[in-house]
Amino acid sequence: MATLNLRGVKKSFGDFEVLSGVDLLVEDKELVAVLGASGSGKSTLLRLIAGFEKPTAGTIELAEKEISSVTKVLVPEKRNIGIVPQDAALFPHLSVSQNIGFGLAGWSSKDKVARVAELLEIVELTEFADARPEKLSGGQAQRVALARALAPRPAIVLMDEPFSALDAELRTRLRLDVKAILKKEGATAILVTHDQEEALSLADRVAVLRNGQIVQVGSPTEIYNSPVDIGIATFLGDSVLIDGEVKNGKVLTLLGALNPLNKVTEGQVGRVAIRGENFYLLPNPKGEGEVVGQVFFGHDAVVEVVTRGVKIRARSNGPFAPEVGMKVSVWVRGSVNFYPG
Amino acid sequence: MRKPPVVIAVLGVSAALLAVLPIGYLVLRLFEGLDRALAELLRFRTLELLSNTGLLVLAVSVSALLLGFSQAWLTTRSNVRFAPVFAVLAALPLAIPSYVMALGYMSLFPNFSGFFASWLVLTLATSPYVFLGVTAALVRIDTATEEVARTLGLGRLQVLVGITWPQVRPAATASVLLVALYVLSEFGAIALLRFDTFTRAIYNAYQGSFDRTSAAALAFVLLLITLLVIWFERRYRGLYLANTKALGKRVRVDLGSWSWTATIGLTLLAVISVGIPMFSLLVWTVQGSASLDLPMLLDALWGSVRLAGLSGLIIGVFATAIALWAVRYRTRLGALIETASWATHALPAVVVGLALVFFGANITPWIYQTTWLLVIAYLILFLPNALAAISTPIAQVSKDLEDVSQSLGVPANRTLFKVVLPIAFPGIIAGVALVALTVLKELPATLLLRPTETNTLATRLWGATEDLAYSQAAPYALLLVIIAGLPALALNSQARKALSEVRG
Amino acid sequence: MLKKIIAAAIAAAAAISLSGCATDVALPEESPTVVEKTSIVVYAGRSESLVQPIIDQFTEDTGITVEVRYAGSAELAAQLLEEGENSPADVFFAQDAGALGSIAKAGLMTTLPDEILGLVPAGYSAADGKWVGVSGRVRVLVYNPEKVAAVPSSVFDLAGPEWQGRIGIAPTNASFQAFVTAMRILHGEDKTLEWLQAMKTNAVIYPKNSAILEAVETKTVDAGLINHYYWFARGREVGFENLTSKLGQFQANDVGNLINAAGVGIVTDSSAARSFVEYLLGKTGQQYFVDETSEYPLITGVEAGVDLTPLDQIPAPEIDLSDLDTLEETLQLIREAGLI
Repeated sequence: MATLNLRGVKKSFGDFEVLSGVDLLVEDKELVAVLGASGSGKSTLLRLIAGFEKPTAGTIELAEKEISSVTKVLVPEKRNIGIVPQDAALFPHLSVSQNIGFGLAGWSSKDKVARVAELLEIVELTEFADARPEKLSGGQAQRVALARALAPRPAIVLMDEPFSALDAELRTRLRLDVKAILKKEGATAILVTHDQEEALSLADRVAVLRNGQIVQVGSPTEIYNSPVDIGIATFLGDSVLIDGEVKNGKVLTLLGALNPLNKVTEGQVGRVAIRGENFYLLPNPKGEGEVVGQVFFGHDAVVEVVTRGVKIRARSNGPFAPEVGMKVSVWVRGSVNFYPG
Repeated sequence: MRKPPVVIAVLGVSAALLAVLPIGYLVLRLFEGLDRALAELLRFRTLELLSNTGLLVLAVSVSALLLGFSQAWLTTRSNVRFAPVFAVLAALPLAIPSYVMALGYMSLFPNFSGFFASWLVLTLATSPYVFLGVTAALVRIDTATEEVARTLGLGRLQVLVGITWPQVRPAATASVLLVALYVLSEFGAIALLRFDTFTRAIYNAYQGSFDRTSAAALAFVLLLITLLVIWFERRYRGLYLANTKALGKRVRVDLGSWSWTATIGLTLLAVISVGIPMFSLLVWTVQGSASLDLPMLLDALWGSVRLAGLSGLIIGVFATAIALWAVRYRTRLGALIETASWATHALPAVVVGLALVFFGANITPWIYQTTWLLVIAYLILFLPNALAAISTPIAQVSKDLEDVSQSLGVPANRTLFKVVLPIAFPGIIAGVALVALTVLKELPATLLLRPTETNTLATRLWGATEDLAYSQAAPYALLLVIIAGLPALALNSQARKALSEVRG
Repeated sequence: MLKKIIAAAIAAAAAISLSGCATDVALPEESPTVVEKTSIVVYAGRSESLVQPIIDQFTEDTGITVEVRYAGSAELAAQLLEEGENSPADVFFAQDAGALGSIAKAGLMTTLPDEILGLVPAGYSAADGKWVGVSGRVRVLVYNPEKVAAVPSSVFDLAGPEWQGRIGIAPTNASFQAFVTAMRILHGEDKTLEWLQAMKTNAVIYPKNSAILEAVETKTVDAGLINHYYWFARGREVGFENLTSKLGQFQANDVGNLINAAGVGIVTDSSAARSFVEYLLGKTGQQYFVDETSEYPLITGVEAGVDLTPLDQIPAPEIDLSDLDTLEETLQLIREAGLI
């Protein structure tokens, strides 16, 4: 029964306000990703939740009990909130087992041994039980760090960009492992990251943090498909913005009349955000578009096309690989988000 | 937000008090006998001491700078043969206490004494400091600027003077100020070489006058001069402690026809600074081996080791407490305590010893002439060294580890003991070892404060040399170099770093 | 776990140091009554190599352990003054009457019983009975005959320009200081200061008499002012024919020929302290000074070494040792001349 509730949390350092009113509710057993660019205040948010900083306004409640407020802050060691720092931060003077068992001070010897063994199995590092941290790879260290945080069955686990120090391939694998581990443990977790792919692929819900405030919270699909403003839209996924005007329920743009995803009013003027995967390219010697650039990824390619005076980036997959100089027709498929103003 | 544990606070505050009280008492004594103190100071003799001391400080500073800089530049920036070997040799004099070096020369050349003798010995003893400081700066210079200058027509010497030197100057200046401080505090070598500077005069006044106010007066003047130099040194220190890595590949200047001259010069320097004194001591030891008083030697060895071990431990505990306070807790009081500990770094050992003799005999007679008072003297003198060595490993423990520990239920203060200290422990032990070795070599404070019947290698060496009994003194000198000097050099992180970078 | 190791290490270190400390904790006391003690602290202004053997012998013969603090007599005198009532010293064994007298003057020494004072001839103990001489010594000029053709007739001749850089003195040494005190008494402050200032120009300064002798032997300096016994001890050790240097005396009654006495005074009275003094004035002690240190014995029944000139034949100046107690003024004069 662990619900984390942040109400109007603000934090300033001197004159500089890092968090200007954060509201967030985290339900039991869910994995929430707080997505934000560097400097958006993500780490400060984590430190506030963990109890290492005091809010300058607002409150933080855990299981309906207030743990942080302007006047009083419950010390970190009493909060039962685990943390997994960016670089694992394993205790170098202790073995893997001792690291994992660090927070189990009050437990009986029998229980402690059992719990550590249980976690070692969950993170699949049983044979490393007595190894020293320096012998572990980056991914292994992060798993131990997670096991350590989970061992005392915390109310919440906080993860500060836990995968950013790892290389790409490892990252993807580890993400899935971590999600599985968290689900198995039935843990509630907050993951803080600047990597949108990470947030979207892992979380049950995503909270977008921008300029010290949460601007949108929702499921990954919601966030991706219905970003509430242009900022979020361009932050997530590769979008192109094109001017448009609402006429007859559709948005008229240079690229044709497009279907709006959101509700629009007749005559509104604004912009639409079109994602790379919404474009559809056909080779056409009389097409209005010309390919001016291409980045080939193997499984797909991002193709830069100039069409009707607008430069767009389209994702093209499948056997068709447009080359520079080719003429194409450009179609927009599906619906797009319209943002007035 | 966080307050340090009571234990740490108590240790930190008492260390600061220990430093300040005896000096305060010295000043008090001075003012009690102010008229006699002034009469003492307004003699011609004081002027003589001032000019002697000033002249020596100046002369040694200049020569140490020249020597140290040449060695540094030749080994790091030129293509002289055997550069790494010469680098090690340049740092080696640090393993030889200055009074041992004086003994080495005195035992070889009968009338070796006075100003020029002191100048030579102190230059050889202090140029390693300049060598290390300048080396650290030289490896950080971007050599591309020098190459560009060459293409624009500047010769090697012009580049050295016009391009290299200005970039190295802050580090060189800081090192020279360190040398000046060293010469001001130096007692053993100058006293053996019978040159009258303030420290020798203070000791002689202590030995040879009834009302020790005169000693206190001279000590006070020396204190003022030293504080002045320290003030200058602190202003320059920041520039010289930066830790950036060497930039790219370092190109070495071709010495061409000067190559052999340089090699010969460096060899000569090594011979003079290390070869001659050590050779002399070896010869004298062999000569005196038949009549060696082994029990006395062993007793002195035990005295040295006992004092060094005990002091190392005690100073280590204090330094760890203060470093923890200053580095991990970052309170204002902690920073103040740290600064206070550094202030006593300025004090010449003779002055500290004198202050404690007064203090012990009059205020705290129950520890007077006991090991504890001597340990307090060592604490005052060497706490800054310990702090420097111990602060780094303590600061290097990642803050994340503390946070994680707290999140796992361990309160902040317990985290210190469960996480920070265990991780920093190897570094702390190295620091303790370094301090212990420094105590082993100490002379003036030990002479003034040693308990009856306690002798150290240094005090025995001193006594024998006063008798001009070189064959008796030499074994003690050799032992000091072997068990204290060389290990201390090995533990000196600045030296290790400089030497490793020379190879690059 | 680590804490336990540290704690154990600290405990071990503390135990080690305290074991060494047990005997050197200062005992602040000044009891007028005679206390039973089995251990005494002696402040010795004499050379350790010269007197430690007889002290060890004393411990062996009486069972009383002695802790000796060696340093210069003037330094120890100053230390006794500084420590005052808190001094841990029981006995002050000084190299010269001057240091003893000045401490007696400060009221820091107890009056010795008449039996002890009566052991030595009059004039070799304090007029007020506060100290007693233990062995006699004569000031001499040790010189290198290759460089010094003839011994100057007076010590004042050493002030001449021809002696520049050729004469060694030890201004921090008690015997030299006593000699300067005698000069002050016999010739006045001004003449003494003049001579001292000439020494500042002419003399090479050494910390000890033994160093001066060594220097003359190794021909580093041409001559030096020392006490006689250093030369005799060395001669007996290596053979007189092997010595480079020779001993010379100045003209009759010249202050440079001063006869002085090393002596003892009791700072904290006890039967153990008295035993120590009596021992030094006993047959064993006195014979030691004759045989081992080449000094003059002071009690009847012990003869001086045959190679020594008998004391009554030394052309010494007429002076009462008890008058040498103005050590402080002497020190000030020496300092004024810039020698210290």
